[in-house]
Amino acid sequence: MNAFTYIEPATIEEALATLVRHGEEAKLIAGGTGLVNLMKQRLVNPGCVVSLRRLAGLADVNLDDGKNLLIGALCTHRTLESSPIVREHAPLLAEAARRVATIRIRTMATLGGAVVHADPNQDLPPALIALDARVKLRSPKGEREVPIDQFFTGYYETVTQPDEIVTGIAIPPSARTTGSAYLKFLPQTADDYATVSVAARVALNNGTIADARVALGAAASTPLHARVVEDALRGQAPTRKTLEQAAALVGAIVDPIADFRGSVPYKRDMAIVFVRRALGDAIAAAGGAVI
Amino acid sequence: MEKAVMEGPRSIGQSAGHVEGPAKVTGRARYSADITLPGMLWGRALRSSFPHARIVSIDLSAARRVPGVHAVISGADLPEVRIGRFLRDIPVLARDRVRFIGEKVVAVAAETPDAADEALSLVDVEYEELPAVFDPIEAMAPDAPLIHEHPERYEHPPIPPIGGESRYHPFANVCSQSIYRRGDLAQGMATAERIFEHTFVVPPVHQGYIEPHACAAAIGPDGKIDIWISNKTPFIARRQLAAAFGVPEERVRVNPTSIGGDFGGKGSLMDSALCYFLARASRRPVRMVMNYTEELTAGNPRHSGVISLRTGVTRDGTIIAHQAKLIFNCGAYGAFIPLHFLHGSVHSAAGPYRIPHIEIESLRVYTNTVPRGHFRSPGAPQTTFAVESHMDMIAGELGMDPLEFRLRNVLVEGDESAMGERFHHIRCGETLTAAADAAKWNSPKPPNVGRGIGIYERAPGAFGTSGATLSLDRDGKLILITGAADTGTGSFTVLAQVVAEELQAPLADVIVCQGDTDTAEWEEGAGGSRLTHMAGRATLIAASEMKRALIELAARHFNCTSEQVQMRARRFIASDGRELDWKSLVAWAAEHEALPLTRSGSYVAAGHPDVTCYVAQVAEVEVDRETGQVRVRRMVSAHDVGTVINPLTHQGQIEGGLVQGLGQAMSEHLLLRDGAVTTAHLGDYKLPTAMDIPELTTVLVESQTGPGPFAGKSIGELSNVPPPAAIANAVFDAVGVRLTDLPITAEKIYTALRAMEKRN
Repeated sequence: MNAFTYIEPATIEEALATLVRHGEEAKLIAGGTGLVNLMKQRLVNPGCVVSLRRLAGLADVNLDDGKNLLIGALCTHRTLESSPIVREHAPLLAEAARRVATIRIRTMATLGGAVVHADPNQDLPPALIALDARVKLRSPKGEREVPIDQFFTGYYETVTQPDEIVTGIAIPPSARTTGSAYLKFLPQTADDYATVSVAARVALNNGTIADARVALGAAASTPLHARVVEDALRGQAPTRKTLEQAAALVGAIVDPIADFRGSVPYKRDMAIVFVRRALGDAIAAAGGAVI
Repeated sequence: MEKAVMEGPRSIGQSAGHVEGPAKVTGRARYSADITLPGMLWGRALRSSFPHARIVSIDLSAARRVPGVHAVISGADLPEVRIGRFLRDIPVLARDRVRFIGEKVVAVAAETPDAADEALSLVDVEYEELPAVFDPIEAMAPDAPLIHEHPERYEHPPIPPIGGESRYHPFANVCSQSIYRRGDLAQGMATAERIFEHTFVVPPVHQGYIEPHACAAAIGPDGKIDIWISNKTPFIARRQLAAAFGVPEERVRVNPTSIGGDFGGKGSLMDSALCYFLARASRRPVRMVMNYTEELTAGNPRHSGVISLRTGVTRDGTIIAHQAKLIFNCGAYGAFIPLHFLHGSVHSAAGPYRIPHIEIESLRVYTNTVPRGHFRSPGAPQTTFAVESHMDMIAGELGMDPLEFRLRNVLVEGDESAMGERFHHIRCGETLTAAADAAKWNSPKPPNVGRGIGIYERAPGAFGTSGATLSLDRDGKLILITGAADTGTGSFTVLAQVVAEELQAPLADVIVCQGDTDTAEWEEGAGGSRLTHMAGRATLIAASEMKRALIELAARHFNCTSEQVQMRARRFIASDGRELDWKSLVAWAAEHEALPLTRSGSYVAAGHPDVTCYVAQVAEVEVDRETGQVRVRRMVSAHDVGTVINPLTHQGQIEGGLVQGLGQAMSEHLLLRDGAVTTAHLGDYKLPTAMDIPELTTVLVESQTGPGPFAGKSIGELSNVPPPAAIANAVFDAVGVRLTDLPITAEKIYTALRAMEKRN
């Protein structure tokens, strides 16, 4: 690791000013589980590391008047998996957080970090896509919100500007008859990145699929929103055949890389299998049954 | 054999925690990477990024100008020495050419690791690439590039071969070849009614110890060279270091350090010779600590290879003849193993079976890849995966149950082993049956669930010399000085228990110290499952001598003969009824100038032991047909054991080994592409985690028959061997897919299942 200066701003305004002052030299750090590894490997060599740890309120979990779930960027994975509010209002996010790495990592790694790191193999982004989450960003110019499925632009790349800080996410309320599932395929060891992961959320209405969300991790250069699968499900009865046919459509949109976790054809086939399984589990969680 | 007649609390059989455990878990234990001396510098090495290249030129000038840098050296700055555990073929720094990606070319000593790394980044090496070869079979081809031009010039050179004749003249990158014959293979095959032939592929795997290799070197004003090194055999390291430095052995002192796991991989000098040369060049103490990427890309992982087996049997399933050809990839250098050849590959190539006609040929072939070394029962896990899979495949072809086929062919009392050994108390069949019974071998199974079995035999280590020094101090404590390193296996604890048992002392009154190579008795060190046996015996001799000396002291006190004194429950009792307790005797001895009282023991192996150890395992797996994923539901590990000195650490060895074997069966694979290791960190090299461990049942088939102290046997290198075969056999039983290459990945099974569906 190369030498760097370390700054701990006390307010978000001060943090933003620090970013402006140091420009491209600066990197934000929260839990450090991503950045420190990159620095150790000298893939990233910031001259200045700006810590967000002292910023008050950025780790909070709240419900607003419209029942939107608001979660601060510094909220740890451990909090996401154990918070009663998250478990009640976004069980999919809690489940995805629970499946991340080890408890040591989850205690340090933050929601904001997981989002802005934009590693397509990670667990939270597919869950957030399936939850229609919006990413909140703040810059000296003000605030903006970006729908999460428009947030990721490439491998480790997002729409975040150099002067912006991700401050949190907002998750809209789900209908009462909604069920969700997060499946992480780990055929090698339990502590690994997914060979493929699938987040699914299904809303049922009188025995048919009113709406569905399907997103995949480790399936492309960004977390993948499988709209084509969702379109095929909307308004359909949840039959095994419908799920199979809808899941098969994901085969055309996944673009995984071949590595020691599997070849491209294998990962594609597994994406189809796990989309179908996740939809089945989500339907069961919504109180429905695959017929 | 000791009579187990004792009084007072017994130490043998106590589940005592590691004596050095509290220091390790509280961070007080000192590992090589913790050694800090005044003025100490950090040593780092620049490694080759080419698999095979001529070094045209090296420019060190910019590196030398980096602030804080005290020495920058290349091969040209060193004496022309090569190092190694037996065959000495690896240079301390590359000279003229590099033979693998990761070979050390330039080294720096600097005040901080960052300064060292910055200096290395400024070194300019010009290479001229040479044709490289990565596959051992391709490396043996007549037109393959020669990786070593003059192997005959090395100490303990790879040629002429062991086994009398060479099929590989002129030198064809064959680093070693070993041929073992028994009976008449051709005649045996001619009388066989069925002949089966199968080939297996095993990948390189890393030992996965927590502590990467580390070392430190300091040169005293008197020329004394102090070395700290994560090495399991300090005395042998001293010998190799002295040869590398060109100094007499007594000039080198190897100091004790804690070792964070060895598993066979910490027997070499690794960076320690280089560390000394950096200390010499910089006139400062130097420390070198490898990172895990260096471990995975340039350590000494297990030999990968291709194993072909051909076996002739009668129609009723009796093995007549067996031929094994094992071609191992030893990487660019053969220096990391302590023998000419991969001993365990030959020894386990015929399994624990009664076979009259055998031919085993085991080769190690140079390639332009990371050098391979020893790893827990070296050669056996690879070979046993092949042999025990092969046995199942034969049984299947013959329509026999795999257990029944094995029981028909395993050694029984009175048999001579395939290696010509005559063991007593052979309990191979009993161990197999015990494993099968515990696993409910014949009970019904749900769909896609299968069971598989595997067996392995290994005798307790009986080679080299062990020593021990035992002193009684004024507090009445017993201080054992051993030259052995405890690599994490619990050997210090076992040695303490031996002392405590013999002297009827509480375990807490025995203090084990690892001496440096100047102060401790010569000790061959850890390896080959020898420490409990050999160091245990030496310790028992020292303890017995101490007991005799204490009885003599008591006799002096009582003014009688030592025959008239007995030691019972830590009391010394004269025949006339007078008694003296331990404390009083120690106090009396102190007053009469009899302290400190020191006794030593030395033990030399009396040849191959006449007993051995068996392990039989059953794996039960469930296969997800849609994904190919295998879940190991449970495993049974049955062991033929002697007196269990410490049930806790004994079980630790069984479980740790089994999990290591599980990793090698299921997930571990040091992947190489064009000579470069691509699984270069522990995020990509997948070791099993606590969450991956299946339900485990251990069965001990006990007897008091071992060659070790109090009739103990060895346990360290058994449970890690059969898991890959047992699991592969279970997968076949579950879904009919036979994998002949490791690891057993979901994708391989998925692909095989889809191919089977197409055929049907």
